[in-house]
Formats: sequence, structure tokens, C-alpha cells
Amino acid sequence: MKKVAVYLIPLGLFLGLCIFLFQGLFSNPREHQSSLLEQPMPEFVLPDLMNIEKTYTQDVFLGEVTLLNVWGVWCITCAIELPYLKQLQGEGKHIVGLYFDQDMDPDFGIKTVARVQQEVTEKLSQLGNPYAYNIFDVKRDLSMDLGVTGAPETYLIDQQGKIRLHHIGDINPRVWNKKFAPIYDKLVAQ
Amino acid sequence: MKRLVSVLFVLTLGIFSSQIQAIEDKFHFDSPEKNALFLELTKELRCPKCQNQNIADSDAMIAVDLKRKVYELLQKDYDKNQVIDFMKQRYGDFVYYQPPVNPMTIWLWLLPMLFIFIALVGIVISRKRQTPEINQEQLAKAQEILEREE
Repeated sequence: MKKVAVYLIPLGLFLGLCIFLFQGLFSNPREHQSSLLEQPMPEFVLPDLMNIEKTYTQDVFLGEVTLLNVWGVWCITCAIELPYLKQLQGEGKHIVGLYFDQDMDPDFGIKTVARVQQEVTEKLSQLGNPYAYNIFDVKRDLSMDLGVTGAPETYLIDQQGKIRLHHIGDINPRVWNKKFAPIYDKLVAQ
Repeated sequence: MKRLVSVLFVLTLGIFSSQIQAIEDKFHFDSPEKNALFLELTKELRCPKCQNQNIADSDAMIAVDLKRKVYELLQKDYDKNQVIDFMKQRYGDFVYYQPPVNPMTIWLWLLPMLFIFIALVGIVISRKRQTPEINQEQLAKAQEILEREE
């Protein structure tokens, strides 16, 4: 009896290791918990993409549940999620774009704002415009404060201007229903 | 021929040194200490976009942005820990290669030690069990065999 127990220990360890590694097969290495959850939006003063004279601050998110979608015309996945975002907007969701440009590199040359605006207008007239407005993250400072790693990424911000969810990657019906809908519906019901 | 080789050698050296010059021009520090700290930090900070590259090696946009941020912070006289905290606040513990010790990660250190300890105990126990008890009868028998062979 005792001998059986001794032989079962390595088997048990092996099975435990198998379960641990098996789970690893399905984990997404790109997914890491945002450290900004439940935190208020970082402070910022940034212009409207289409009207550079107009500026927004973090207070613009107060009073309404908002989806802040980080995107750019150079981002292929963003173009794929645009039609679905348009659909969400049609259902009455408030979607704000946080736009940043890859070529606006402070170290190298600068692309003119007019050129960026033209590209954005073209893209949105092609694929539909889900955005109430676009905030232009000129030097990508807000993106850095938000912990953005690329595009597309989406933040769910509540009425108090707090970040409730950070999603890396595109939004599609599956992601919306699984990840966003439960929190979104609860926030809107408040 | 020898001359040609040496000319080529000098030329390639020239190319390399101008590249090094270019890097130094982009992020210029007044003090060599800050420069060294910059190089150290960009080696230890991990690019959030690309899975296993530090920001010094990566050319992803985010890595370039992080490098510029590190430069800016060092110019503002941030020390090493302050820069790391700044990055961790935004990108989580993921961004720094050295994991923090917490109830979750402590096992990274504990598990190997535990393993060694258990293995040692196991070895000691099994050794103890194996030591055969030699009794007087066996000794006498062995003696007999030895004598017979002589």
C-alpha cells in the first residue's frame, strides 16, 4: 500500500505539470492586465483631429459611458473593426476615437495635419464613421499614459471618467458579448 | 593587396563609428553617468508590443516612444527606480524584466529550492534504508570464504 503511494507521487506531479502546461497553450501572451483599471482617465489637453482649434481634457468623459477606441488609418485591424463599431454606434453607444499617427514621429520629420485629416476623412467615408469625435494624440503622450501598446485598443470609461476595461485587439461580436456587454450594460443601467 | 585590405578595413571602421555617432546624436546626454543609465534602462525595459525584446533592440513604434520617454525622464533627473515605476504604472510589471517578489511570483524562487530540499531528504532516507545490517553470522561466513580461497 505504501509503495503504491510512493509511485503515485511522480504520476501526480506529472499530471499536475500537464494541466499547467496545457492551460498555457490557450493563454494569450499579449494579454496583460492593465494597471489603470478603476483609475480615473489620465490628465490631458489635446486637440480635436478635425478641428485643431478645439481642445479636450479628461473632463470630456464625465456623465456618459464612453468607448475610447485607439486607432489609425495605417492600422489594418482597425479598418476591420470599423464596420462593427459603426454598428455599435447605431445601437446608441457613445464612441470616441483616440487617433495617433505613426509617421508623426517627433524624432523624424512631421506630417502635416491637413494630410492626416485627409487620410482620416477618406478612410471613414469608405468604411463608415462610428466616432462622435476624434481626439488627436499628437505626440502619443496620452497613449503612453494609458498604456497603449499599439492599435486597435479600446477603453470602457464610466460616467465618473474612470477606466473600467482595457481591451487590446479588435472588437468583434464575440469580444463585445463576452467582455464588454456585461460591464457596459451594468454601467448604463446605473 | 595588403594595402587594399587595410584601406577597406579603415573604411569599414569609418562606417561603424559613424553609426555609433548617429545613436549618440539622437539621445544626447551631458553626463556619461546618465548615458550609461540610459543604456542600462533600455536593456532592462521590455517592449510591451513585441514579446521578447527589450526596448533597446526593438524598432516597434512603442519601443521608440518608450526610449524617448526614458530619455526625457532622465533629462528631468529621474533616478533608475523612478523611471521603472513610471513605466510600471502604465504598462504593468510586464514592462520590466525583473519580476517583483509577491505571493504569486515567490514560487519562482521557492519551487526549485523546495525541489532540491525534497530530493536531498529523499536521498538521505533511501540511503539510510539501504545500509544492510551485517550480523555476526554473515561475517563468519565471509571469513570462511576468504580463507578457503587462500
